[in-house]
Amino acid sequence: MTEQPPAGDQEQAAPRPAAHRGPPVEIAEETLSPSGERTAGALRLALRDMMVASGGRDDVPWARVDREHLARAASACASSPNLGMDMLHCLAAVDYEERIELNYVLFSLARGHKAMLKVDVPPDDARVDSLTGIWEAAGWHERETRDLFGVEFAGNPDLSPLLLYEGFEGHPGLRSFPLHDYEEW
Amino acid sequence: MRTQAAYETVDMMLNMGPQHPATHGVFRMVLTVDGERVVDVTPHIGYLHRGSEKLAEHESYGQVVTLFDRLDYVSNLNNELIFCRAAERLMGVEPPERAQYIRTILAELNRLASHLLFIGTYAIDLGGMTPIMYGFRERERIQNLFESVTGARMMHNFIRIGGVKEDAPPGFAPRVRALLDDAERGVAEIDRLLTFNEVFLARTRGVGVIDAPSALSCGLTGPSLRASGVAYDVRKDYPYEVYPYLSYKVPVGENGDCWDRYYMRVLECYESVSMVRQCLDQMEDGPVMAQMRRIARPPKGEVYVHGENPRGDIGVFLVSDGTDKPYRVKVRPPSFCNLVALRPMMRGAYIADAVAILGSLDIVLGEVDR
Repeated sequence: MTEQPPAGDQEQAAPRPAAHRGPPVEIAEETLSPSGERTAGALRLALRDMMVASGGRDDVPWARVDREHLARAASACASSPNLGMDMLHCLAAVDYEERIELNYVLFSLARGHKAMLKVDVPPDDARVDSLTGIWEAAGWHERETRDLFGVEFAGNPDLSPLLLYEGFEGHPGLRSFPLHDYEEW
Repeated sequence: MRTQAAYETVDMMLNMGPQHPATHGVFRMVLTVDGERVVDVTPHIGYLHRGSEKLAEHESYGQVVTLFDRLDYVSNLNNELIFCRAAERLMGVEPPERAQYIRTILAELNRLASHLLFIGTYAIDLGGMTPIMYGFRERERIQNLFESVTGARMMHNFIRIGGVKEDAPPGFAPRVRALLDDAERGVAEIDRLLTFNEVFLARTRGVGVIDAPSALSCGLTGPSLRASGVAYDVRKDYPYEVYPYLSYKVPVGENGDCWDRYYMRVLECYESVSMVRQCLDQMEDGPVMAQMRRIARPPKGEVYVHGENPRGDIGVFLVSDGTDKPYRVKVRPPSFCNLVALRPMMRGAYIADAVAILGSLDIVLGEVDR
């Protein structure tokens, strides 16, 4: 990737006045805060053998599960007394080309927990169970993810296009979808 | 005589939008009605989909801030703030204290301006033509202040990764204080005019009720969730910037109806005014930009950061691959998630209340569609 300075910054040749200097940059480490560690423990307990990898940053630990276990893992997160995830906060799909990673950000407002469930799906068979039965919010997040990334959610009652129009071809969220040489009309 | 059951009735579909004045933008919903009652509602969005998340993958970190300005165009500074916080977390940069104060002041003033706009337009939705004049009068003062600080009335591009673009102009504090006095008076004026108005109460009390468990399941956040009695505010529960140093109350409603959702925002206006005053008292001179490289290049990794926008909980999932452009930017827009709750709120309501319910969610379509 070519290095392009942000627009309007080219003529910034003069050094900044001393008053503008702040603390030096430190590289952040991927570590969990104490509250994140506690959530991670509860997450480990709730998922048990389903968890294949784990990690986290700050107060958001994550656990990776196989896609056939997703619905079971999610309902374990929602119903486990220690976790009690009452809100599906976000579903973020990331296209890593050889796999599409789905990140379910779960919140428990009652207990103040945050955690993330990660699921990998192969791009040529992007299919995973829907979580609409657990959180109603999942419906729209899944429709959006299907629009932009082409992931199918088995069990979602309504998967009609949400952000795109009926009949749109392709999935614009994927890295392979061109940005500039795409012409609609 | 034939009984009612003997008549064959069919549900009727009623289209509303995308050009309807009460949908606050290009939003369409199809109401399935049985007589005067709404049986079901199907929202249609996407008319304003610009692919902001996709565009962000092709811009450098500094340029992505401009895209965030254009998501929720009524609370631009709050949006800029959340992206900058995500990038800073990824890079391990802590903005200087003065920058954090300036950011908090701007974010709270922005919240105030956004809520004033909501109150005005909500009154219009319900047939009250006066409050929007008062709301816009106060909002205009705030926009003028933003212009003097950031150089732009709406698309500010002022909050930077590691701080803010430049220090506040001379005379900033006295000017903000004068503005706050006016704004507080203005909010009180609208409050007196509208809140306990009998017609307004009749249109909003007990309309569009949603209880706390189903609000949580729908992912409702912000004042709309607090109206249902859940005391969740990111500023209080997961404090960021200088919010831990400020004392303020989080207004919580009881019934989860339209009136509560409206009143939470009115109360938040007063809280924002007091927060900005405290910031001005505490703020000290100092640098406004962290010392860092000109071109932001966060190390490989991912982070999920969320914050309190006027409309609810905005989240950013940011993935960096170590280059100067983000690998993936996912926005969790509060308006989008709040709209999921439209269906449970509207079921069983009258057609005339559909406008009152939609208006009480305070959606911004730029953010819903991205």
